[in-house]
Amino acid sequence: MAEDLVLDIKDLVVHYETEDADVCAVNGIDIQISKKRTLGLVGETGAGKTTTALSILNLIPNPPGVIKNGSIHLDGKDILKMSQEDLQKVRGNDVAMIFQDPMTALNPVMTVGEQIGESIMLHQNISKQEAFEKAKEMLKMVGIAESRAYDYPHQFSGGMKQRVVIAIALACSPQLLIADEPTTALDVTIQAQVLELMKQLIQEKEMAMLLITHDLGVVAEVCEDVAVMYAGRIVEKGTADDVFNHMRHPYTEGLFDSLPNLKQRGEQLVPIRGLMPDPSDLPPGCSFAPRCPYATEACTKSIPPLKSVEGSKTHFVACTAYENPDFSLRRNENGK
Amino acid sequence: MAQTNSTGNTKHVKKRTMLQETWRHLIRNRGAVLGMLFLLFLVGAALFSPLIFDYEKDVIGQNMQDRLMAPCAAHWFGTDEFGRDLFARVIYGARYSLIIGVGSVFLGLIVGTILGSQAGFRGGVVDSIIMRGIDIFYSIPNIMTAVVIVSLLGTSTVNLMIALAFSCASSFARIVRASVMTIRDQEYVESSYAMGLPTWKIIVKHILPNCLSPIIVQITLLIGTTIISASSLSFLGIGVPAPAPEWGALLSAGRGHIRDASYMCIIPGLAIMMTVLALNLLGDGLRDALDPKLKK
Repeated sequence: MAEDLVLDIKDLVVHYETEDADVCAVNGIDIQISKKRTLGLVGETGAGKTTTALSILNLIPNPPGVIKNGSIHLDGKDILKMSQEDLQKVRGNDVAMIFQDPMTALNPVMTVGEQIGESIMLHQNISKQEAFEKAKEMLKMVGIAESRAYDYPHQFSGGMKQRVVIAIALACSPQLLIADEPTTALDVTIQAQVLELMKQLIQEKEMAMLLITHDLGVVAEVCEDVAVMYAGRIVEKGTADDVFNHMRHPYTEGLFDSLPNLKQRGEQLVPIRGLMPDPSDLPPGCSFAPRCPYATEACTKSIPPLKSVEGSKTHFVACTAYENPDFSLRRNENGK
Repeated sequence: MAQTNSTGNTKHVKKRTMLQETWRHLIRNRGAVLGMLFLLFLVGAALFSPLIFDYEKDVIGQNMQDRLMAPCAAHWFGTDEFGRDLFARVIYGARYSLIIGVGSVFLGLIVGTILGSQAGFRGGVVDSIIMRGIDIFYSIPNIMTAVVIVSLLGTSTVNLMIALAFSCASSFARIVRASVMTIRDQEYVESSYAMGLPTWKIIVKHILPNCLSPIIVQITLLIGTTIISASSLSFLGIGVPAPAPEWGALLSAGRGHIRDASYMCIIPGLAIMMTVLALNLLGDGLRDALDPKLKK
């Protein structure tokens, strides 16, 4: 499995240094994704998901963003040590990104064919004509008629625009696809279509995907692996089965408690109390401690490291409570 | 895919290139068509006037027997105080006005776009330095700047163009900067970075084309303003050197005869006014036609 590793992030720390404060957006995370697998990065708004994604392309706006520590290896090459020119070769060719809002992610004054062809032309050194032909093929692949390559983005609906954005991202057959909340701006039926399409293309093209979302439903549908992020740290990581059915972290439990359960419709939803901490002023110890129903004195003392869960090779959790072997989450005790 | 039918049905959509599309919208706008026709006529006049008139004989050749004749069959626009046919002079004058107007605006456009896009895109210190410099130029009235530059370089058509280009450059720089600043934060710019495009390509291919409509409107408006400025400078005697029939110079010459031969002022004045009006009408029409959001 290790040879197939497409993305390997180690101990990444990203801060935004403004005049008023040092915003600690990402505080030492590790992420690995192998070929043909999809990792779902889940977390609230402001947990540092997008910052993580942007640092993979070394696109953090600087200033104020600074990558303080860590390494990002893409297919064995360290992104953070690359020259600007090499980076431009990697972006779009080896790693492609799908942005959140398809409405604004397309240039309104270029036809979609040109926009898809642009990246092909850039990375594969072919003529404009050939690139346009390839762009048409890409459109066909995402389920849009080839003849529409001559149209402008305003002539498309939201779901179709997102398909175009996906076509742009996949145009050069990247090894890694980063999808930053690709379905947030779409309605539910279109969401399903787009996710289905992405899943199918990942398998066809043998890519890896990092899917960033706050929607657990989307994760369940698409991802094999899940990492739960809170205040710039990964608090729980594992396969979808590990995290969805055998969750260990109180924050993960909180996320699931806030979702309606189809089997017990009458049950009251329990939101996580309190608010996400200010990333420029994180609490000492575990960042989740002030909101955690299980928090003890020990939680505020030190930051819990990500430890593997007993009896599992894939499941990791960062919680001090498991030092007590008898501890288990309320949700797990009640049975799912 | 299953969705192909719903998303791919394009039987009824006719395919047009962007130019055709713009043209179709432009000719629906009466004002723009009127402006365009007048400008075409003017450009034609400017191009063919050397074929119709002999510069030495008709345009600057004096003929004292025919001085100050009112418009008649032989002299459609009358004659001036040296007996020169005003029609020939006004038509020939279109050459000067158009060359100066278009020339200085495009000179200003190139300089202004480079400065404005750098200021808008880079921001920070670069922005401050460029924009404060431009503000200084902007705070001095156009004509004053032009007077100073022309006095420094000497009076000639080219120097006049350079002088007027300064003020054009500052307005272009401001407009381009403002548009670039709104567009550089758009997601499609970010996504073109993620696609691996180099910065200059992003500016040229993604940012500037989106600033195009204010720039185009500004081009047409500024050509008008510049024609007026050029005429003003000629009126003051520091524009195009003397016997050349620049419209402002014609106005200036007619000033002394405004009581007895008012056509000498009215006709060149009308020529200036109609040209500027035509340019403004065309500019408005182009703005509407080029806006992709207005396309149905």
